[in-house]
Amino acid sequence: MRAFSTLLKTESKLMLRGMDTPIFGVAFPVGFAVILGMIVGNKPAFEGADFSFLQQSFGALTSIGICATGLMSVPLTVADYRHKKVLKRFRVTPVSPALLLLVQFVISFMISVISMLLVYSVCALFFGYRMIGSPWAFMLAYMLVLLAIYAIGMMLASISPNIKTANLLCSLVYFPMLLLSGATIPYEVMPKIMQKAMDVLPLTQGIKLLKGISLGIPTENVLLPIILMAGFTIVCTALSLRFFRWE
Amino acid sequence: MEKALIVKDLAKSYGNVTAVDSLKLEVQKGEIFGLLGHNGAGKTTSIECILGVKKPDRGSVEVLGMNPVTQRKQLFEKVGVQFQQTSYQDKITVAEICEVTYSLYKNPADWKELLKAFGLVDFQKQLVSELSGGERQKLSVLLALIPKPELVFLDELTTGLDSKARRDIWKYLESLKAKGLTIFLTSHYMDEVEILCDRICILKKGLAVALDSVPALIQQSPYDNLEEAYLWYSGEEENANESL
Repeated sequence: MRAFSTLLKTESKLMLRGMDTPIFGVAFPVGFAVILGMIVGNKPAFEGADFSFLQQSFGALTSIGICATGLMSVPLTVADYRHKKVLKRFRVTPVSPALLLLVQFVISFMISVISMLLVYSVCALFFGYRMIGSPWAFMLAYMLVLLAIYAIGMMLASISPNIKTANLLCSLVYFPMLLLSGATIPYEVMPKIMQKAMDVLPLTQGIKLLKGISLGIPTENVLLPIILMAGFTIVCTALSLRFFRWE
Repeated sequence: MEKALIVKDLAKSYGNVTAVDSLKLEVQKGEIFGLLGHNGAGKTTSIECILGVKKPDRGSVEVLGMNPVTQRKQLFEKVGVQFQQTSYQDKITVAEICEVTYSLYKNPADWKELLKAFGLVDFQKQLVSELSGGERQKLSVLLALIPKPELVFLDELTTGLDSKARRDIWKYLESLKAKGLTIFLTSHYMDEVEILCDRICILKKGLAVALDSVPALIQQSPYDNLEEAYLWYSGEEENANESL
């Protein structure tokens, strides 16, 4: 327990010192929420819609923190610690190197949730955002999307033979997902044909789920994204475990 | 005497290359044992197989009477390890890495005292990445001593250190030996080996070609000092003469 709390404290400090995760995972989505709120805030999502543009985009905004931590921070730190043999050093201590991985997950999870809560606060305080759907259902959906994205990130870390490949794979997955899943550029403004292509990306489905739940759409209508998210979680976790190496 | 380490018939190859072949050795408790050999002779692979980090192709290892794979948690409460060329997390400070290492053990040594003994006390707030090569090397030896080990593995313990720092480390290790610490080390410096080691094993292409005390090994060779005796055992003496 003492090992866990000391590692949690130290690794959190290192993560904050690193700056990139706080910037991409927290400052970026919060800043983006402010801009979106100022431009389109309370306008209806489309003519005759009974919810606002911001209400429609809220789910997408909260997914940015999940992506920055799950597709960059976690896999790159794991690949880095493996490359630097930090994990190997833990194998010759009484503590399992898995504890260090767990600590990374916990920190990333906390940063992601902080990002989501800040996005919510900004939207609610400055732009009058109200969630139409149940906040509890939203939290569950958020957890499911987070698990799926983290599993994808861990799989990338596991299959990368070195830090360079990990960097490349993470960028290849992260940036298209960020731009083409509706996390930043709203799905709705894309041409139909583009939307079809976007539907392939796991995060697009995750955002559909978050959006649907936050807008109070009945669960049956978001069944497909739920199944897909659970599927990604299971398959990618299995692949990560299958290919994981400590060094 | 009790044994700190028993290695029997240890072998490991990578593809067609044999890294360690039929290694057999025993280290007594309280002894300083040196594993010598030039680069690629199999020293690091031997240590990694002994510690259970690498899986040997065959052979058995018993460290402090325990199996390093199945009794890992129990064993590494009592065993400290310094790997060759250790690197650490980005942007971690000296105090932080000490604190983290300290937190992993049930009954660790006071790391602030160790920093004092190693002359690193003024570097506590500094990033490990900003330390000089020698300071970082001292830190890696220090971290291996935080568990208050009964047995410590030091892989190239003083590579990159200046004469003063090397002497300081030797003195400190001798003082720990006097308190009963067993040390298993590798080194390329024969002066260090001669001063520290009670017994040595010389590896040549993964095979142990000599295993005895330093004076005995010198005596069994045609030479009168360890440096030349070592080169003779490890088969580099002819090459050394040729290149002259």
